[in-house]
Amino acid sequence: MKRKILIVDDEPNIVMSLEYTFKKQDFEVFIARDGSEALEILESEVPDVVLLDIMMPNVDGYQTLTQIKNNEKLADTKVVFLTAKNKASDIEKGLKLGADKYLTKPFSVKKIVSEILELLN
Amino acid sequence: MKQYCYGSTVFFLFLDFQFLMKKRHEQKLVVLSIALFLVFNVPFLLVFNSDGQLFGIPVFYFSIFSIWILSIVISYIVLKRHYE
Amino acid sequence: MNNYSLVLIIILYLAVLFYIAFFAERKKKSKWVNNPYVYTLSLAVYCSAWTYYGSIGIAANSGIDFLPIYLGPVIAAPLWIVLLRKIIRISKQHKISSIADFISLRYGNHRFLGALVTLVCLFGTLPYISLQLKAVSETFAIIADETSYISTSILDDSTFYVALLLAVFATFFGTQNTDASEKHKGIIASVAFESVLKLLFFLVIGIYITFYLFDGTTDIYSKISNTENFNSLIKLNGIEDSFNWFFMTGLSFIAIFLLPRQFQVSVLENIREKHLKKAIWMFPLYLLLFNVFVIFIAWAGKLTFGNAVNAEYYTLLLPLENGNSFLATLVFLGGFSAVISMVVVSTLALSIMVSNNLIIPYGFLDKFIKNQPERNSKYIKNIRRISIFTIIITAYFFYVSFSRELSLYSIGLISFVIIAQLAPSFFIGLYWNRGSSKAAIIGIIVGILIVLYTLVLPFTVQAYTGSDDFVQYGLRGISALKPHALFGIDFLSPPAHAFFWSMSANILCYLIFSLTSKGHYRERNYAEMFVDIRNFSTLQDSALVWKGEAYVADIKNVLVRFLGETKANRALSIFFTKYKLSPDTQIADARLINFSEKLLTGSIGSASAKILIASVVKEEQISLVEVLKILEESKEHIVSNKVLLEKSNELAELSSKLKTANQELITKDKQKDEFLDTVAHELKTPITGIRAATELLMDDIDDMPMEMKQQFLKNILQDSDRLGRLINNILDFEKLETGRLNLDIERYDIQNTMKKAMSSISHIASKKEIRLINRNPHSFKLNYDEDRILQVLTNLLSNAMKFCKEKTGEITIDYKLGNQFVEISVSDNGKGIPSEDHDFIFEKFYQSKHQNTIKPHGSGLGLAITKQIVQKHNGKIWAEKGLKKGAKLVFTLPFE
Repeated sequence: MKRKILIVDDEPNIVMSLEYTFKKQDFEVFIARDGSEALEILESEVPDVVLLDIMMPNVDGYQTLTQIKNNEKLADTKVVFLTAKNKASDIEKGLKLGADKYLTKPFSVKKIVSEILELLN
Repeated sequence: MKQYCYGSTVFFLFLDFQFLMKKRHEQKLVVLSIALFLVFNVPFLLVFNSDGQLFGIPVFYFSIFSIWILSIVISYIVLKRHYE
Repeated sequence: MNNYSLVLIIILYLAVLFYIAFFAERKKKSKWVNNPYVYTLSLAVYCSAWTYYGSIGIAANSGIDFLPIYLGPVIAAPLWIVLLRKIIRISKQHKISSIADFISLRYGNHRFLGALVTLVCLFGTLPYISLQLKAVSETFAIIADETSYISTSILDDSTFYVALLLAVFATFFGTQNTDASEKHKGIIASVAFESVLKLLFFLVIGIYITFYLFDGTTDIYSKISNTENFNSLIKLNGIEDSFNWFFMTGLSFIAIFLLPRQFQVSVLENIREKHLKKAIWMFPLYLLLFNVFVIFIAWAGKLTFGNAVNAEYYTLLLPLENGNSFLATLVFLGGFSAVISMVVVSTLALSIMVSNNLIIPYGFLDKFIKNQPERNSKYIKNIRRISIFTIIITAYFFYVSFSRELSLYSIGLISFVIIAQLAPSFFIGLYWNRGSSKAAIIGIIVGILIVLYTLVLPFTVQAYTGSDDFVQYGLRGISALKPHALFGIDFLSPPAHAFFWSMSANILCYLIFSLTSKGHYRERNYAEMFVDIRNFSTLQDSALVWKGEAYVADIKNVLVRFLGETKANRALSIFFTKYKLSPDTQIADARLINFSEKLLTGSIGSASAKILIASVVKEEQISLVEVLKILEESKEHIVSNKVLLEKSNELAELSSKLKTANQELITKDKQKDEFLDTVAHELKTPITGIRAATELLMDDIDDMPMEMKQQFLKNILQDSDRLGRLINNILDFEKLETGRLNLDIERYDIQNTMKKAMSSISHIASKKEIRLINRNPHSFKLNYDEDRILQVLTNLLSNAMKFCKEKTGEITIDYKLGNQFVEISVSDNGKGIPSEDHDFIFEKFYQSKHQNTIKPHGSGLGLAITKQIVQKHNGKIWAEKGLKKGAKLVFTLPFE
């Protein structure tokens, strides 16, 4: 069965790169442009991993994560933050909220892939 | 024993000295006084030095009384507005 | 009216006055006693019997001449705010208790000068008091039964007893305190009460005569205007009359300040400076009310009696003629009131002068030094009491032997001319620090001698010899020495003539001798204090320059003799606390000398105080130059103290400013951090895109389909552009915010700029099918930096585009002219700006939560930069509130 990934980011160019990468790794890729779209998708889908930006319009990354953690259906879904916020205090806050990993922008595509795969195995 | 004293050895500040009215407004009254002095004396006074009467008051008296009242009103207004 | 009932009325009335004075003394602090109205009414002591009866006599016989006596005070009143206030301040500061004290202190505590001033005042006032007694006696005679006999000896002259009663009144309320600089509130309250009565009764009789006995003012006028010589009564007659008028005005101007009774009520009895505020306009009003009916009463009397009776008493004779003895009694009481206040206040003032400036310094000082304090205080009071009785009784005898022949008016004027001799040393001395005691003495003596020759001698000679040869032909027949026409100046009235000559000589002597004599250093010290009271009152006791050897114990001994043990101790402890000195200080300094002199001044006068203190200290002579130098230094110290205070205030202000500035810096610092964070975030976003795409292209160059490769390359390009724009914006913004951006301002047409801005976005608009509308096609030129305003307009337009729907979108650009500014607006028909965003859209990196498009490739700095540019042009920018549809952003540009 194909593994599923949900990419949540409001930057189309970044999304495009990530989509290309994970499709190549044989993921089924879902895309959301902000938190609310992500939550909409998550009502029907249960991805293995959610790649989540923090600074987004409407519902931001933190709020989205909290929603996911409150959803029992998504108990097995890993959440990885992928964000330009790289202050120690930001990272701590992200992990405290229950994120499985905290990756910072700009990123190496290869590294993202290896981190995600490591997380899923 | 001798000693030498004068004010400058004391470093005191007495701020009880109050200026109740600004100089400019005080000067209005001074000018009023000068104006009255001029009007109440010759040659200006001769302007009113004529026959005839108003309300039974000879013109000369009437003019002097009018200026007199006017000066009271002006002093009153200046002091009312600018004192303290 | 029956003689005895009239006496009863007089006694009753005096009892009322006693009660009022007693009440005022008991309730010294009450507001019934301490208010500007009482002060103003007490000034009305100016209106004596002369005003009450005399004015009418003049109005009836010689016309307008009664008026200048009141016009002088009317001219003087506005000046009080400067002049009288200065005099009051000096007097309060030095505890001055009479005009003699004032003048002698100004010239360095000069003993002889004080005595001279006292003599001048006595000489000028005694006849004046006797004039008042004359008025009482004559009015009494008019109102009493015709059957009552004319008095033949003193003992059955009722006037004598009235005079005695007045002396008792003045003694009782005038000598409650040893310290004469204390207020006499009882006397002042009764004077104020009498001032009300005399004005009231005078107005009542004026109205009665004018409107009851006659048919109003026009009636009297039309009847009198047919009489002979009437025109001379209502006009100035020629240049001679004008000169008389001028001199009389000057005379009364001086009198309102210098008459001992005026100085007493206006300066010494002044409780608060601010009472002047009311007095300055109310006193002229009082005088005006006293004068309005004078001419009508005079004419009514003339019409009724012709020249048969003394015109001065028309106010009594008219009601009596018409059988109204009640009204006549009221008038009599009004006149009596005028007499009482004048006599009481004058004798009070004179008695203080006589005791403090004549008797004590010239005879009793040695005795005082040996005496016990209680006995000293008793002595001082007794000297004053005896003075009061002596003055009044002397005045009575003067009246009996002299003034029966003279009118109220002429004696009053003689008084004025005599007192006026003090004017040069008083007024010039207030403003000119070189005026010296020698000059003052010479001026006064010369002036008095001239008055004696030109005014007093002629009428004395006439009264004794009964011939007027002296007046007619002059001394030994020399016509240049005619007393009423010296050196041929024969066109002035005798008082004006005397005033003119004496005053000219007096002023000249004063000025010349002041300049030729070098003053004593003490004298100059006081001169500086008087002339420059503003600065020296802040110096207080330190204003006296003194050098020598003195001990606190000796000075204390002197104080104890006059003030008593307890008072002296209290005063000294106040002094030590005030100057932060230890209570067991043994050596006395200049401040203690000055302080003690002031303490004694009230009781024994300034000259005696100086002599007493000088007797227990060893003063060394200081040169005048040294004194002036020291005074200058002290003044500089005051100034520098003032400056210091100002500086310390400034510093306090500055430090609070610094605090807020620091606070601002802290917030700014925080903002700066946030700003950098956001900038970093915004920069990372395109870099992330570029990096990811590049990596994929590099690693996957072979497998990647062509269109994908092209897409990624396109993305890289886009992100690079975005990065470039962002960096430019950040630099712009930084420059604008720190104010380093210089505008390149020239004259442009706003219409052109708007068109340029529209064309730069028109192709994107047409792609989205958004309509661009320019509502105002007119051109208007003003000064601005075109590139920057273009940036503003483009920002606003592309911002509007972001919120517009495709196809139905509509953006309108418009401008209006206001007062000194152009108002340019960009509006759209998009979804509008939520009200909660209105205040924030111009902040950096603010992006609306409700932005519905894909994140626009802006920097988040656009509107913030826009705002900065507009502000740099001194314009304003805002988002219009309360629109139903769409958004409207407006900015203004000022033009001259």
